[in-house]
Amino acid sequence: MKIKQIKETLGATVLEGPDNLEIEVSQVYASDLMSDVLAFGKPHSILFTGLATRQAIISAHMAEFKAVVLVRGKIPNDNSVKMARDTDLILMSTDLDMFDACVRADSIQKGKALSSESVSEKAFPEELLLAQELVIEGDDFASAGMVSTGIKSTLKKIGLDNVLIRRIAISTYEAEMNVVMHADKGKVFLTVTPTYVKVVIADQGKGIPDVESAMVEGFSTATEEMRAMGFGAGMGLPNINRNADEFEIQSEVGVGTTLNMKFLI
Amino acid sequence: MTTQDLIEKIGLKALSKFDPREVDGVFVSDMLSDVMAGAQSGNLWVTVQVHKSIVPAANLVDVSAVVVTGGKEVPKDTVELATKHDIAILATDMASFELVGKLYNLGLVAK
Repeated sequence: MKIKQIKETLGATVLEGPDNLEIEVSQVYASDLMSDVLAFGKPHSILFTGLATRQAIISAHMAEFKAVVLVRGKIPNDNSVKMARDTDLILMSTDLDMFDACVRADSIQKGKALSSESVSEKAFPEELLLAQELVIEGDDFASAGMVSTGIKSTLKKIGLDNVLIRRIAISTYEAEMNVVMHADKGKVFLTVTPTYVKVVIADQGKGIPDVESAMVEGFSTATEEMRAMGFGAGMGLPNINRNADEFEIQSEVGVGTTLNMKFLI
Repeated sequence: MTTQDLIEKIGLKALSKFDPREVDGVFVSDMLSDVMAGAQSGNLWVTVQVHKSIVPAANLVDVSAVVVTGGKEVPKDTVELATKHDIAILATDMASFELVGKLYNLGLVAK
């Protein structure tokens, strides 16, 4: 099957790769364990994974894969994208979860169109109401909070419920402050569909060595200066966890941190 | 009780330009995440923080006004940003404790 077919069937976005996706792949390999990819992956395959780190790209390259599809709407950091470019791997991202992505890929292999009865409704990518990409500058305390403020007014214009907007605004503010305090630069990806709002914040920075501790209320690595400004109470990530319906952190020391937040409408 | 009532009854200084709002409860904190976690929409936020980032914070949690206590000088850029976003910045020479006592006597409570 061709990568182009997979892209279209999954409703995936190409993050890195040529315009021409007429490249054949022999099979789909789905895994989040990179040692499995190295042990069992066959050359010329396409990898479906929820791991958006540079290691996933390196492993796919070592196993001689042609392409990587990140499932569950994972957005890789710039280092992962660069690694894909350097190793000539096609890198894509889809909002589908692993199960639905596999079911849809299977339908291409079997050469049959999917009927709505054969898969869950989720397998059909949702209509996008809004997709925005914004930038947060690290260490820029003067503009801290402005990206979240912009997102709040955008969501107000869409006409979402005020209580929901407040939860999104609070979570986004905390994530934005984390980028300002601890990272060099961050990107915000805001997606709105009829059923959910997704905010992904991916930064380039020092990363979090111990995510479990960082999730504990009161844990903070903020400087005295930041605390004097009222930041770094160690409540940022717990606040996000409380306000988001789904919350996931991926962090790599020395590379950066990606927060995935989903709010159901 | 509105922001305008409070300005008159307690003698607060209005620094930014804003539309009057109903004040519903009080939240006192100088830690921004604390405000994010605990302040309710419509609360009056009492703090000694004066930097620009209090404006997006106040906007995002939707407080009815920010009251800066202890006679702290509020930088011009904070006031300008607040005016731009219709956020009330009020100021007083009273310490937070004293102000909160007055607010309590006016019947305002935590919400």
